[in-house]
Formats: sequence, C-alpha cells, structure tokens
Amino acid sequence: MTVAPGTQTEQRFALSDSDRRRMRTNRIMLRIIQVATFVAVLPVFLILIAILAKGLGTLDLAFLVNNPLDEQVGIANAIKGSLAMTGIALLISAPIGIAAAIFLNEYASTAVQRIGDTLVDILLGVPSIVAGLFIFLLVVPALGYNGYAGALALSVLMTPVVIRTTQEVLRLVPAGLREASLALGVPMWRTTIFVTCRTALSGILTGLVLALSRGIGETAPLLLTAQGSNDSVIDLGAPLSSMTIVIYNNTISSDPVKFAQAWTCALVLFAIALTLNVLIRFKTINSRVL
Amino acid sequence: MADSKTKVSIKTSAPKSSSAQRASKGASSSTAMRLLNVEAMYGSFRAVNDVTLDIEAKSVTAFIGPSGCGKTTLLRTLNRMHETLPGATVKGSIQVGGTDLYDPSVDPVRVRRSIGMVFQKPNPFPAMSIAQNVSSGLRLSGTKSKRDVAEIVEESLRKAALWDEVKDKLNEPGVSLSGGQQQRLCIARTIAVEPEIVLMDEPCSALDPLATLKIEELIGELKTRFTIVIVTHNMQQAARVSDTTAFFNMGADRGGYLVETGPTNKIFTNPSNKLTEDYIAGRFG
Repeated sequence: MTVAPGTQTEQRFALSDSDRRRMRTNRIMLRIIQVATFVAVLPVFLILIAILAKGLGTLDLAFLVNNPLDEQVGIANAIKGSLAMTGIALLISAPIGIAAAIFLNEYASTAVQRIGDTLVDILLGVPSIVAGLFIFLLVVPALGYNGYAGALALSVLMTPVVIRTTQEVLRLVPAGLREASLALGVPMWRTTIFVTCRTALSGILTGLVLALSRGIGETAPLLLTAQGSNDSVIDLGAPLSSMTIVIYNNTISSDPVKFAQAWTCALVLFAIALTLNVLIRFKTINSRVL
Repeated sequence: MADSKTKVSIKTSAPKSSSAQRASKGASSSTAMRLLNVEAMYGSFRAVNDVTLDIEAKSVTAFIGPSGCGKTTLLRTLNRMHETLPGATVKGSIQVGGTDLYDPSVDPVRVRRSIGMVFQKPNPFPAMSIAQNVSSGLRLSGTKSKRDVAEIVEESLRKAALWDEVKDKLNEPGVSLSGGQQQRLCIARTIAVEPEIVLMDEPCSALDPLATLKIEELIGELKTRFTIVIVTHNMQQAARVSDTTAFFNMGADRGGYLVETGPTNKIFTNPSNKLTEDYIAGRFG
C-alpha cells in the first residue's frame, strides 16, 4: 500500500499472457457461435429464395381457384382439403388438449402429473408417419381412404402440441393469482376458467396456432389416410387432397410442368404457415398478459 | 352504503351477516373466531402445534414471531387456504359464530367468502382493469347486476382509501398501479365481497415506507367494520396497528407454537414470558 498509486495500477491491471490467451479464445469462440447462428437461420432465406424463384412464375389466380382436372390446372381442392382436415383436427385437438393440460396442471396429483407429462412427451415424439400408419390401420380397411381419417391422424399429432403449450403457459400464471381468487370465495372451477385460463388466454391461443401450423405441414400421415384426390368436390368421407400431398405427388412426377406446380404449391403452403406465425407474434406482442 | 346491505344475500349461509355487524359498530369485546388446538401439517411435518386462541371481533390481532414459526401457516388455516397446498392438512377446530370451519358439512368456498385474505405480494388480476379487479370476487362468484357492481366498486375503493387516486382510470389495468396502490386495490377487492374477517399476510413487506404508512392507516379504519388478523415481521408495525398481539416461536421440532397472547400494550411493555421479552428486545429472531 506504500507504493505510489500509479505504479500499483499498472502492476495490478496490466495484461498478462494468460489474460491475452483468454481474450483471444474469447474472440474465437464468439466468432464460432456467431457463425453457427448464421448457419442455423440461413435456411430461412434459402428456402424463401428457392420457392419464390421456382414457384412465383406459375402462381396466378387460376392456380388458386381452379382444380386439377380443369383446363388450366389449379390446387383449389388441395387448399380446401388442407384447411378442412387441419381445421377438423384442431376442433378435435383444442378441447381435448386444453382440458388435458388443465387437468394435469391444475388438478392432478404430482404423481399423476409426472406420468401424464411423460406420456405427452412420448406422443410429441411419435413420428408422424407412425401416427398416420396407426389411423390407416384403424380406419382405412373398414372405410377406405377419406378426409376424416386424415383429420384424425393430424389430431393425433396436434393434440400433444396443444397440451404442452397450454401446460407451459398455465405454469407461467403466478400461484398468487389462483390463491387470490380462491381467497375471494371463488370456487376452484371458476378460478381455473376465469382467472388461470383467462390470464393465460393469449398463450393458449398461440399454442393452438402452433398446433395448426404443425398440422398443415404434415404429409406422410395424410398420404396414408386421405390419399389425395383430383376431385373438385370436397367430400371428407372420400379420398381428399391436401397441399402437401400435391407437393409430394408432383415432385416425384417426371412431368416438368407438374414439377413446377409443386414449387408453386409449396409457395402457397409456406405463405399460409408464415401468416399463421406472424399472427402469433402480433397476438403475443399486443397482449399485456402472458 | 345502505344499498350494499341488500347484496349481502350472496352469502346466505354465513352465520353472521355483515349488516348485523355494521349495526353494532362500536368496539365490542365479542369473539369473532375461536381456535381450539389447531395444528397445521405439511405432509408429516407439523408446522403449527396446538394453538388455542380467541380472536376479538372488530379489532386488529397481530401474529408476530421469528421466521419459520408458522404464523403465516396458521393464518392460512383461518380461511381454509392452507389445505389448497398439496399434502397440507389441519387438525383441531376453528369456530366462527358457533360453527366449526373444519366441520365436514362446511364448504371451504363459503368460508373464504366471509373470511377474506390479503397476501404478502400484491396480486391484482393482470387480465382485469382496476374496476374489474375490485368486482372480481362478486362477478366470479356469480353476482351480475351492472348498477350494483359500479356502486360496490366505488364504495370498496373509498373504503380502501384508493378512490381519489384511481377514479379517473378505473378501466386501466390493475397492474398499472404502483405497488402500494396495488395492495390497496387488493384490499378493496377483498372487502368488496363484504367478509366478516380480513386476514393479512405481511401486507406491507413488499412496500416502501410511505405505502406502508398508508396501509397501516387503512387498517386502523377497516377495523371499525371488519375483524382483522395480520401477520407481520415488523414489530413496530404490530405495535402500531394491533390491539392484540400473539407471539409465536419455533419449537425444537421446528414446529411453531403460541408463546403468549395479550393486549398489544402489555406484550410490548410487560410480557409474561421471557422469550417474548427477548424477541421484542431484538435478542433473537
């Protein structure tokens, strides 16, 4: 302490060799994780460029409103088929999934909750083609390929997504809010609906949209259950087309016109999925609760 | 305030109506609540041992004691909130107007409707406006009439000494208020359902000194209408706001027990137990 302040500062804070090594390593590692991040998000732009370049050329109104057997080929039936099957799947998955999440989070004992969580994890990990195969075996031998079977296969995949996202947002609702409500003499079920779920509402809706975008992009389960169709009539009781089925069938076709149509269909599908995602963001940002 | 008496009908089975209470506004020495051998468990752990205690109506009773002595747990047994935690159970009896709150025929929802609770951390409902927060207890449990609700909101906010600060922004979110205002909003929400007893679990511990002062003044006003039980870590606060003080301590088995109870004056100046004296003097805790 008797040393003059200036010299002491130099001694104490001067860079040593090990400091320099650490700083160099730091710079290198920082650069590595920067590059990794860039590589990870790069496909977004590559995909966008590819489908715009290959798909935009043949995209016109006729392609969206005409059907496969019309003079000018369109994918109206596939768009309607996709929306119908995903929509019905959501109608099945939303109530079941939200109810299951409420049960697991708000009512189940710790042991039951743990078992439930594990089962939901397993469901989330079921390969989509296996889910399709399962519904195929269950439905197709008796009733043939049809749109309802497609919706059912999608709902098998979408339900665990709804459960998990709903659980996550219910977990974010502070316990103090449930207690505040109960302490006001509000029954548990009303507390669950009007306080817990109300507080988590925008998060729950986000989960539904997430499930929707998961379902609308599925191909394999639909090939095995809805099969695909060129029919312009949307009949859920009969084989039904979807955008993903059109993309698959046209991509493996040797006809260059059909191949180009696959890209255009991919562009439409991507636009729909992107819209859903943007909707989520918009909804989440504008909400002051979860 | 006369109109609000008609709304008391929501708690039809409550043994004492608050309009009857209001008639006897003067300080009475009647017992609002009688605890007999109350024990509170978390699974097999006994957090509160054998508490027998009378809580006087229309007065403020403070529970004080070192951390972990079970005072908050005991408070939560008084409106059957303790049992909402997994594995939590209660033994003994707590009598209000001759009814044991833990009688199997008693609905805990009804108990909580007449014994309200204010929590340590202000917890207004984030999805609701200021007005909606105040009326939440009524709306969520089923009272609908629009005119009534608006009146109750104003009346409760006035009683909670918050009306002048929020009357022009009733539709703004409850969470937009400051911490102290949020806590008074929570008090307004609690008294809007016209409970007989209001439990307060360290209501000022998350607040700054000025907000604390406001809540303490408010407690002094509220005790003319409600029976108040307050848990506090702050001995000066207990001395300032309470009429009766119950001192708890943690036993050798880590379970809390009641050391002594008496008029706050006596507890703070001339306690009969050496432990109380040591705690008050700041020698432990």
